[in-house]
Amino acid sequence: MSAVKSRTRLIAGLFALALAPAIAAAQGYPSRPINFIVPWGPGGGADLLARTASKLMEPMLGVSLPVINVPGATGQVGLTKLISGPNDGYNIEVMTGDTYSLFGAPHPRFKLSQITPLAIMIRQPSAFYVKEDAPWKNWKELLAAAKTKTLKVATTGFGSPDDITVTYFRGLGYHFETVPYAKPGERYTSILGGHADVLYEQTGDVRSYVDNKQMRPVVIFYPHELNVGPFKGVPATGDMGIHISLPQLRTVIVKAGTSPAIVKKLSEALAKVAQTPEYKEYLASQYADPDSYMPAAEAHKWMADWLVKAHKIQAESAHKGLNK
Amino acid sequence: MGTLHYLWIGLSHIFTPQDLIVLVAGLLVGMAVSVMPGLGLVMGVVLALPFTYRMPIEPSIILLTAIYVSGTYAGCFTAILYRIPGEPMDVPLLWDGYSMAQKGQPAKALGWALVAALTGGLFSSAVMVALAVPMSRVALSFGPPDYFAAVFFGLTTVVALAGTSLVNAFISLFVGLLVATVGVDPIYGAYRFTFDSPILENGVPYVMVLVGMYGLGEVFNRLSQGLKLHGEPRSDTRVKTDFPSWRELWLIRKTLARSSVLGTLLGIVPGAGATVTSFVSYGIEKQYGERRQLLGTGLPEGIVAPQVGSTASVAGHMIPLLTLGIPGSGATAVILAAFLLHGVQPGPMLFTDPGSKAVVYTILASLFVGVIGMCVMGFFWIRVIVKVLRIPQGVLSAIVVLFCIVGAYANRNSVSDVWVIVVFGVLGYAFDKLRFPISPMVLGAILGPLAENSYMQTMISYHNDWTVFFREGLSGTLMVLSLLAMGYPLARHYLEKRRRARPPAPRAAARTDPA
Repeated sequence: MSAVKSRTRLIAGLFALALAPAIAAAQGYPSRPINFIVPWGPGGGADLLARTASKLMEPMLGVSLPVINVPGATGQVGLTKLISGPNDGYNIEVMTGDTYSLFGAPHPRFKLSQITPLAIMIRQPSAFYVKEDAPWKNWKELLAAAKTKTLKVATTGFGSPDDITVTYFRGLGYHFETVPYAKPGERYTSILGGHADVLYEQTGDVRSYVDNKQMRPVVIFYPHELNVGPFKGVPATGDMGIHISLPQLRTVIVKAGTSPAIVKKLSEALAKVAQTPEYKEYLASQYADPDSYMPAAEAHKWMADWLVKAHKIQAESAHKGLNK
Repeated sequence: MGTLHYLWIGLSHIFTPQDLIVLVAGLLVGMAVSVMPGLGLVMGVVLALPFTYRMPIEPSIILLTAIYVSGTYAGCFTAILYRIPGEPMDVPLLWDGYSMAQKGQPAKALGWALVAALTGGLFSSAVMVALAVPMSRVALSFGPPDYFAAVFFGLTTVVALAGTSLVNAFISLFVGLLVATVGVDPIYGAYRFTFDSPILENGVPYVMVLVGMYGLGEVFNRLSQGLKLHGEPRSDTRVKTDFPSWRELWLIRKTLARSSVLGTLLGIVPGAGATVTSFVSYGIEKQYGERRQLLGTGLPEGIVAPQVGSTASVAGHMIPLLTLGIPGSGATAVILAAFLLHGVQPGPMLFTDPGSKAVVYTILASLFVGVIGMCVMGFFWIRVIVKVLRIPQGVLSAIVVLFCIVGAYANRNSVSDVWVIVVFGVLGYAFDKLRFPISPMVLGAILGPLAENSYMQTMISYHNDWTVFFREGLSGTLMVLSLLAMGYPLARHYLEKRRRARPPAPRAAARTDPA
């Protein structure tokens, strides 16, 4: 069935190729496949977004958008791939909040002037999860345990919101410790296999494990309780007066200097993607903010605010003097 | 029961037209590349990879594993009939297989090889299916230290089994590890050996190393030899297969059992490819077989042992790949790349999700059908397949180069990758001329990043305490095994050196086999 579909796609692609010169005269872009870089391993939230969006964008742009996983160093390996390539619009990338927060680090390797965001595609809260049969029944017990022994938190990498959150609690005197796992599969295995104690993850990414009663959320980093699915009754940090929620954001970006016409074409395609029922269904399955999509113009301000907030949390943890 | 149930579902998937066509195509391609001396099965798998980009995951993996498994078998025909080893792993077949053919029993020799491939393939496939689920449970308990120890074990065995010079094997391994460190480091994001070059900042994917070293390197090698065909197959050769009788089979039952177990076990260890398994199986037969004195004169044991070993290693290799995500050989590394391309990360999670479980069992079932299929095809179509030897070497090399370049470009749509494979092609040629083994380098490039990542994770979660590798049962066992694997050839090397230093009195009977 899917072979037939991919064959029609192939034929369509060949047609597009044959027609390419004609279109090239009119618009020129895109005339060949666009790499969709995912700076994480397969099976995580960024990967799912790229694969969902790529499928929906294919008929709109008339070319295929193969997803390429380039994990490592909190997404920096993939971002390097984007930035070291040409700015011809044939490489686009999903950038997540994990990598984005590095832009606010003291000596950032990357600057915002190097990239052009096309749109924010998904925003969703994050939570701490533990294994279903973990000895800590709830958030209170977990905190009590962290007072006396070191608990390993599986995260995406150093400098990410995951790490910032962990560092914040360490600042409060809880012995949490960041362990980086760039591949989502490894990260989830580390919890199920008992190699790490706590998982920092977004609401939708580990849904299958939560539904299968293998993991459970203990606290959600959100202004108020999230009244859906397994998050009913899970305490929210906002209700406790702790304002450290850094919602995960996943944007689609291109290298800075890409021609405005190409940026416009890609942004428009993403805007259309966000309107499709398939995409809305995907957002719902991820327990994401239903109004996640944000066009580039608004995205800039929201992202700048986000970075200020991340900065503030980091400064606060440092201020407590325990951040070492 | 659950396993058999899933296997049954997998079997029913294979017999859908799409999967079946892909399976047959894969078997044919595998046979063709392994018959041709210039092309190995690893190259066959690498060259087929771009064709899977547009396929769904199931047929993609079936195609690649089919090439892999039949690639371990078909080379026996040319080795036995024309004394042309299509692959390095077929070299042991020259000693007894070709001798038996020279004694006027080529059909019988082919029959032995067929029975051996069938036995080894089916046995190891059965072991693989039986072990997959329990192993995936064990795999779940693999923490970063255990994971590192497993990869480390693979790295040491590849050195230990590389044959020839231990020093050269180490140099080759370290070059591979060095290549793997180029780019952005996976934990802290430091730039290593990038020299401000965008090409280097992106790192060197191991697929490029494979294409360059095995593909272009081999072509350069053939160019330097003048592209001559070693032995034109005589068109009048009657290619026939005669099966051994049950009584004859019963006589070599021990060889069959020994090599099947050995092949599967060596397959499970990352690092030991089909070639190593084939040589080791032959070597064990030479040391412990009942008729070891006569080996090399055309005994069935000498055909059966290496053939069982190489075919059995395929399913063995699939176990660490599927349950841990550790590729133990060049071919499985390419299969891993195909998994990742389709958004599936092999590992213990593969066996918990019902959707991916169906895919996994289809792949497992495809190995059973593939082993039987290749034997049937070998029996009936071998006459046609051997004809590929008639393709002039020049034309063949041109086709290989074309596919290498297309494959390198298609991987990331990047022209710089084409230059990367040229560099590794030259390096592969140089390695061959300087007698450095290629497989440690390739395995180093494949396993290096896995080792680094798990090592760093361990160091971070255990506060730079390296003794953790030796404290826990699982990682401790694997580390001790690795040290033994490394220590054994070192000790042998040392002893041989001492023996050579003494006057050459006791070395009367020199070793006859070039293993």
